[in-house]
Amino acid sequence: MKTSIIIITAVLVLAFSFFIFTNTSLFVNAYAKVRCNIGEVAGPALKLIGKPANLVKYLFETYVNLLDAKKENVELKKKLDVLQLENQKIPELDNENKRLKSILHIAEQNPNKMIAARVIGEDIKNWFRCIIIDKGRDAGVTEKMPIITPKGLVGQAVEINKWHSKVMIVNDTNSSVDVYIEGKNSRGVLEGTGKTTLKLKYVLKNDEAAIGDKLITSGKDSIYPKGLPTGIIITVNRNNPGIFADIDVMPFNNFKRLDEVLIIKKR
Amino acid sequence: MKISLYILTGIILLTIESSLLSFFPVEFFKPDLGMPFVIYTTFFLGPLPGFITSLLISIFQEILSNAPHGSIIFTKLSIFLLATFMKSKLYIDSKYSFSYICGGSAVVESFLFLALSVLSKGETSNIINVIFYTIPNAIFTGFVSIFIFSLIESLNTKLLSKE
Repeated sequence: MKTSIIIITAVLVLAFSFFIFTNTSLFVNAYAKVRCNIGEVAGPALKLIGKPANLVKYLFETYVNLLDAKKENVELKKKLDVLQLENQKIPELDNENKRLKSILHIAEQNPNKMIAARVIGEDIKNWFRCIIIDKGRDAGVTEKMPIITPKGLVGQAVEINKWHSKVMIVNDTNSSVDVYIEGKNSRGVLEGTGKTTLKLKYVLKNDEAAIGDKLITSGKDSIYPKGLPTGIIITVNRNNPGIFADIDVMPFNNFKRLDEVLIIKKR
Repeated sequence: MKISLYILTGIILLTIESSLLSFFPVEFFKPDLGMPFVIYTTFFLGPLPGFITSLLISIFQEILSNAPHGSIIFTKLSIFLLATFMKSKLYIDSKYSFSYICGGSAVVESFLFLALSVLSKGETSNIINVIFYTIPNAIFTGFVSIFIFSLIESLNTKLLSKE
């Protein structure tokens, strides 16, 4: 009897989740409140766990580099280990310094337009592409704010909590960005594929598009401002059936290596 | 007591996974760390703990993912219902049989997600992506569940043996 009640409840929740999935407003609103409350816990937890994770990252990188040092000189192993450890810290700090300087430079140029944030988590499913950043509602982040780095476009904020936000990056299969080919008249829609490269769609075969062309946002999708660099064309195939060319694009950012990002405040 | 400890362990593991993934460039395999907890509680603790675990774990997974709202709850609860009905037909006698069931459940979850996306919304953009990662995810979920099974068993022995 008890099992039957639980199974009936589970089936009802299953139906409830189906209605949430299909965006039935009554269910979506109720679920949004539940998510929001539970979501408030996730941000601080990620920040807290991110600290030991930083140490794990450092140890991992140190270990990889140490393997090379062992190959070089077995006799001086111990001495080298110490030196390597010291030396590894400097380029790492130097790189971080350069990264932060460039972020700070952009943020200082636009003090009221940018918010700097750190990446604290990543999507736990590989079916989707998102990152979690350490700035949320409290820092003034709102939905659909564009996220960039000094190299180029990252994505847009899709879910905002008190202390953290979820960012859909441009290679998610649900992402699309209206772009221009720099210096040319061609325009298309840049869509995520779930993989490293992106697809530039709706560019006619007789449009100007060549390997090496850079893409910039057009600003016509009313999410991303005009002129943000997004990627570079790596293949153009005009031999496929249909009127549109098949174009692959490599984004400027390596989304697996993002540490800091900038959030552009909406005008 | 048991169920709250399992859920807490599951949530901590999911948070660690999300946090570590932002440092290590691992894309090909992302094990579903929630699945072993759903299977374990359903098989060994009964339907009510299984239901609560699958609901809470799936909500937390949705928070840490860009998955459409409701989709992971739907797939996890379906796995819970399937596990409840299959409980009398499947016998978990070791951590290895537990790992096979977790791996198999990860495959079923992928196909449930695809069926949900295609049949209810007609979304086809993500099909190749989901299919591509189904087998690696299942293998690594199965692999990791061996350790999670041992972790739960040691928690049972050390902390919960008095219950």
